[in-house]
Amino acid sequence: METKTWTTCPFCGVGCGIVVHTRDGRIAWVDDDPANLSSRGMLCVKGRFGTTFVQHPDRLTTPLIRRGGEFVPATWDEALDLIAERLPAFRGRFGSFASAKATNEDAFVQQKFVRLIMGTNNIDHCTRLCHSPSVEAMLDQLGSGATSNSYSDYEEASCLVLVGCDPGSNHPVIASRMRKAVDEFGTRLVVVNPKRIDMAERADIFLQPLPGTDVALFNGMARAILDEGLEDRAFIAGRTEGFEAWRAAVLERTVEEYAAVCGVGAAELREAARLYAAPPPRRGLPPGERPGSCLAWGMGITQHAHGTDNARALINLALLTGQLGRPGCGISPLRGQNNVQGCGDAGCIPDSLPGYQPYAGDVAAIFEEAWGAGIPREPGIKATDMVERIAAGDIRAMYIVGENPLLSEPNLAHAEALFRQLDFLVVQDLFLHETAQLADVVLPACSFAEKDGTFTNSERRVQRVRPAIPPVGASRPDWAIIADLARRMAPGAGIDPRQFAYGSAAEVFAEMARLTPQLRGISYERLDREGGIQWPCPNPDHPGTRFLYADRFPRGLGKFVPVRQAEPAAELPDSAYPLVLNTGRVLYHWHGGTITRRVQALVEQMPEVPVAIHPDDAAKLGIDEGVEVVVRSRRGRLTGKAVITDAVREGSVFVPFVKLQGSAANFLTNNAYDEPSRIPEYKVCAVRVEKKRPRPVGAIGAPPTASRGR
Amino acid sequence: MRVDGQEVEPAGTILDAVLALGISLPHLCKDDNLPAIGACRTCLVEADGRVVAACHTPAAGVEEVLTASERAVRLRRAVLRLTARMHGPRPDVEGGPRSAELWAAYGEHGLEQPAYPRRARDTFDTSSPFFHFDEQACILCGRCVAACQGLQHIGAIGIAGTGTHARVTPGAGVAFAASICTACGSCVAACPTHALRPAPSSRDGVRFERATEG
Repeated sequence: METKTWTTCPFCGVGCGIVVHTRDGRIAWVDDDPANLSSRGMLCVKGRFGTTFVQHPDRLTTPLIRRGGEFVPATWDEALDLIAERLPAFRGRFGSFASAKATNEDAFVQQKFVRLIMGTNNIDHCTRLCHSPSVEAMLDQLGSGATSNSYSDYEEASCLVLVGCDPGSNHPVIASRMRKAVDEFGTRLVVVNPKRIDMAERADIFLQPLPGTDVALFNGMARAILDEGLEDRAFIAGRTEGFEAWRAAVLERTVEEYAAVCGVGAAELREAARLYAAPPPRRGLPPGERPGSCLAWGMGITQHAHGTDNARALINLALLTGQLGRPGCGISPLRGQNNVQGCGDAGCIPDSLPGYQPYAGDVAAIFEEAWGAGIPREPGIKATDMVERIAAGDIRAMYIVGENPLLSEPNLAHAEALFRQLDFLVVQDLFLHETAQLADVVLPACSFAEKDGTFTNSERRVQRVRPAIPPVGASRPDWAIIADLARRMAPGAGIDPRQFAYGSAAEVFAEMARLTPQLRGISYERLDREGGIQWPCPNPDHPGTRFLYADRFPRGLGKFVPVRQAEPAAELPDSAYPLVLNTGRVLYHWHGGTITRRVQALVEQMPEVPVAIHPDDAAKLGIDEGVEVVVRSRRGRLTGKAVITDAVREGSVFVPFVKLQGSAANFLTNNAYDEPSRIPEYKVCAVRVEKKRPRPVGAIGAPPTASRGR
Repeated sequence: MRVDGQEVEPAGTILDAVLALGISLPHLCKDDNLPAIGACRTCLVEADGRVVAACHTPAAGVEEVLTASERAVRLRRAVLRLTARMHGPRPDVEGGPRSAELWAAYGEHGLEQPAYPRRARDTFDTSSPFFHFDEQACILCGRCVAACQGLQHIGAIGIAGTGTHARVTPGAGVAFAASICTACGSCVAACPTHALRPAPSSRDGVRFERATEG
């Protein structure tokens, strides 16, 4: 039998529409969906060819309970009863990670379980490791932590500024839409990245700053805009506050001084500033409309010990130039995972309730009335701190859904030592990954292809996920597992078990929409009829919102916040570790690779960790293209394959954080944190690189496989 | 406007109107996803007495369209015979979802599946783990090139050469794996024959060794 299911891609945050074709219950082909408003018929290699992981033989098919050091298959009743019996003892010392790969419904039920049954706000997810500084800065300065524009604005902008992101690798369909703007409409392109990414080929200005000097770079652009009088004075006067104090801080240095700190040319810095503030109109811009600029950024901004300062400096630029609240402009923190927007929207963050609503006052009371019990009103512990505070005994038990912190945390040897100290660990996932191997109970969850739900993409569009194949083994949807557990624990916690008596994902969504003003107008019925809808959507007649901040910011006025360049990084190169390690991602793998390592074609395409190194550094170290190299930091080592390229700056190496053949960049990275957001500094640490010593005679290596290392 | 006697709103192209009525008409070089190319001529119809390619003729102003007139069918059959001269026998493998369009068109026009000898253009590029390019099955409709450039704005493939030397290629002497192709697969989705098709390793059901952690 053959079926076709219209659903949403499970990889990056672009949220492309896919049509899953099955034959005899197995996925046979993944087609694009021209009607999807976010992807318009485009897909990338992972969406098209990368979903076969869902039926990989490694899938967990039954609950597992650790007995005497070994995992033993168990029934759902045995596993859930055991968890229900053990967890109550850890109230007050419990934390939970939600999954940005799971659905909004999964996330909503999980945060409700953690808040209501476990009585804590210690719930967080991988946004802590990617865009928490962006969210922190945007909430403070604007009052909302989401991308302000839509993808269609990239095609209507007159200038695109891409900072610290590589959409060609990580958001390929956004990259296609940006290339379309440049190729067809003559949109100007500014790329800022220490690595020369593919999009730089089309750039009018490409700036390659020294690692960790972003604040100086954006302050330099601001200074150039002020020097030339290109600021939007009406916007500053009418829509912002704090301008004078911020201006004074920016004027402390000249454009030339800022440029020197970053290692870029002052003339290029000025030109980039001009293009952003006042780009020439693109072809086809309606007469009389002001040419807009979109500002998009990624982990290159956030994953620094001063990540929040970097994000603030960018938001200051948007406020200075008034490039917000119109078509063809806006600010976009590009989201890495399919539902990282939705997981935060659903309340899986320690400092607010669903919809980013505060714990204080009437809001918490609304939740307490709906849920029939009190909820904790103190902010919880952030993800990275939950791990660090295992050592102090503040966290003794954890419930981890769809995350593999033992690949995604910095300084993995340190993280593993901490996880081993936990008294009780539950992991709910598709595969028995590194973290799951340390668990006391492992629960098999359904993949995206086996359940109903919704994902919310980078442009705030809520889209349906629909089952294409039957659940693999005894796996169940995440929300159903947690609701089942919650019903078992509810009586002991003084909660009415009917609070978790959901009959379907649609019922979960309906409750979430009722309690979350920005989603109130969205229902499954509307999504099935109209396709994806962009929040805010306050009522059933509302069409959804293409761009935010047209008339006001959620906090009222936009706030300028003075920021000054700090030390570039917590750990800088020295004689023992003379190179700077920059981590990121590649097109052919996804994050740590727990999923993409189980897609044969992707592994064939890129079987080993590529270590990109500048030709001059390679020559000094005697390293040839394609040889095995060892990269060491003070915390660990990895083996990878040398890719010699002048795309990286001299003195820098780039290694994606996917784990291949036992090597992962996060064994090297530094567990230094940005203070407000507690994001780790993945982007800068000091390393040394050397050629791997020859293997013993007789050993035969794997044949070299084409790897384009992009 | 009337198509084969049925009233229809003359919006878009004649092909849009034909397909909206559920009438079957080959359109081998026109993808739902992409603007018309007008290369394959397999969508010829009679419009107010003129023979036109339905895919890129606006419906506005046309009063009477005949898809099944003796003349239209005869011409389409001739075009399909010429198309059949361009490719080799039907490969004994599965293609993408639209790859049966060619064979369906033959069937609807009462043509036997052609079994011509192998022709000179017979590159078989298996360098990508995601898809293969079997040039023998290519009819040079250009849908793949339009998908690569017009949809994805990558421009990894083009048609090189003219006349009988024309061929789809990611660059002279370059295999897909060594080109700027990002393996998005839009060309594979667009291909109306089996020429561009998913590689066996990208298909489900092919078991491979268990991935180990660590």
